Amino acid sequence: MKLARPLENLIDQLIKLPTIGPKTAQRLALYILKIPEGEARLLAQAIIDAREKVFPCPRCGYLTDTDPCMICRDVNREKGVLCVAEEAKDIIAIERTGFRGRYFVLNKEFNLMEDNNLEDFNISGLRKMLVSGEIKELVLALNPDIDGEVIARYLAGIAAEYEVKTTRLAHGLPVGGDIEYADEITLRMAIEGRKEI
Amino acid sequence: MKLSLINLKNFRNINKLEYTPCEKLNILSGENAQGKTNILEAIFALGTTFSFRTREDNNLVKYTADGFSITGKYEKENRLINAALNFSSNTGKIYKINNKKTTRSNIDRLRVVLFTPDDLYLIKGSPSHRRDFVDFILRQISDEYVYNLQNYAKILKKRNLLLRDNGVRSKTFKIINELFIDSAVKIILARINFVNILDETARQVYSELTNERYKIKIRYAISFPLDNDKINLDILTKALQKQLINKNEREVIRKSTLMGPHLDDIHVYQDDKMARIFASQGQQRNIAISLKLAELYTFKKIKGFFPVFLLDEVLAELDDEKKQLLVKHLATADFQSFLTSVNFGNINYYSAKFSLVINGHLE
Ligand SMILES: [Zn+2]
Repeated sequence: MKLARPLENLIDQLIKLPTIGPKTAQRLALYILKIPEGEARLLAQAIIDAREKVFPCPRCGYLTDTDPCMICRDVNREKGVLCVAEEAKDIIAIERTGFRGRYFVLNKEFNLMEDNNLEDFNISGLRKMLVSGEIKELVLALNPDIDGEVIARYLAGIAAEYEVKTTRLAHGLPVGGDIEYADEITLRMAIEGRKEI
Repeated sequence: MKLSLINLKNFRNINKLEYTPCEKLNILSGENAQGKTNILEAIFALGTTFSFRTREDNNLVKYTADGFSITGKYEKENRLINAALNFSSNTGKIYKINNKKTTRSNIDRLRVVLFTPDDLYLIKGSPSHRRDFVDFILRQISDEYVYNLQNYAKILKKRNLLLRDNGVRSKTFKIINELFIDSAVKIILARINFVNILDETARQVYSELTNERYKIKIRYAISFPLDNDKINLDILTKALQKQLINKNEREVIRKSTLMGPHLDDIHVYQDDKMARIFASQGQQRNIAISLKLAELYTFKKIKGFFPVFLLDEVLAELDDEKKQLLVKHLATADFQSFLTSVNFGNINYYSAKFSLVINGHLE
């Protein structure tokens, strides 16, 4: 079937997005053609605005349109607790929990177990925060995989240079999950991370 | 575990097939290329989600179809479980247990032990064959072992990359070495624990299965020296730390990791002599069969239930006397087994259930 050139072009652009297959791309494209023109313009403008105005915060790495970001500027945040995450999207998740400390994003865009090494991380920003002496605890929100383990040991070593305590998020059972059906590894991690009540 | 029903659709040369095995020995007979091994392969895939003959799922699909389906019912510790493995080139592989989408580490999956003619060379063969033998069954026993083995493979690869790229002075190398020791020690301890139980069960099976007066002994052979006869986490950790220093120069020259469980072996002795050197070919086969059977009994001792035993064309490799001993053991054992064979020989099959496979159908 032959499609109009601009429609085909739109589908081609949408297909490049993650989780969008050819069928969904076609559905989205046809939907965009049906909505009022003003709405379509808003969508296009939103994409352009986000691209032009949003950047990683130079201090913490969180996505922001101000320098420094809202979190870094917030004087009510606990200064003593710094949470380190692998990506900005992890911060969005942690923010929803009501965590009140500050953040540092590693912006890890490479594979530590392949060609990259720890030296490739730019952590000068983290050192600057540690050297200030305000931070009492480094909370590592890293994935429970081998990469996360390597990074955790590395950062714990750096924190120790500044006599800062390091903690790591507990891995464990999903809420609502059934202990009986948890796999061995999750259960073992949950037992290791148990807490007094 | 006892498989009571398996249904196949568009799997290899099988269009549609329903098979209801008995709880003891099941024999799939038929000429070559009729589909006997395909049924065994399907049982294996239902438990592991992959084939023992190919890594390419498309090869499992009947050529006129675009996907296959395997469904089965089995008993596990007095519960009836149903499992399904569906594949199509569109959706990929979907594995379900009790109608819920799941992964191949589900605790209720069907556990299988496979015996192929290759395994008869377990004693004579390479150390990697013996390591695979132990790893395969440990994977079925413990998810934590699977996790450790995967981590070890990644760490080993990274360590070799750093050795190759002159990275031994980096921070990464230092941390990789710590993690290397951690996961190496976990793997070695799990294997030693398994081999110790295997040693007991294999000795029993061997004396029952053969008329040999010899005693067999199985030992895990660590590929680096220890200061102490007693093996525990602490001693292994210290020994590896020492090795990392001692072997450093050679590792840098060879650009490869020269210690660890990927180089270990399992030694089998017959009356205190290395079986791979001193046992005759016939004796080596008897030992190999005993080890495969012992694998099932060891699994039972650790997990409390038996896996299902799959034997592919093993009988053809044995003389009538050995065939009879093996078949008698399988027919009277507490576990369920499936055996494919073209040729039967003149032996007693007891109450085994026979099914004839012709051109992808059961007769
Ligand atoms: Zn910031």
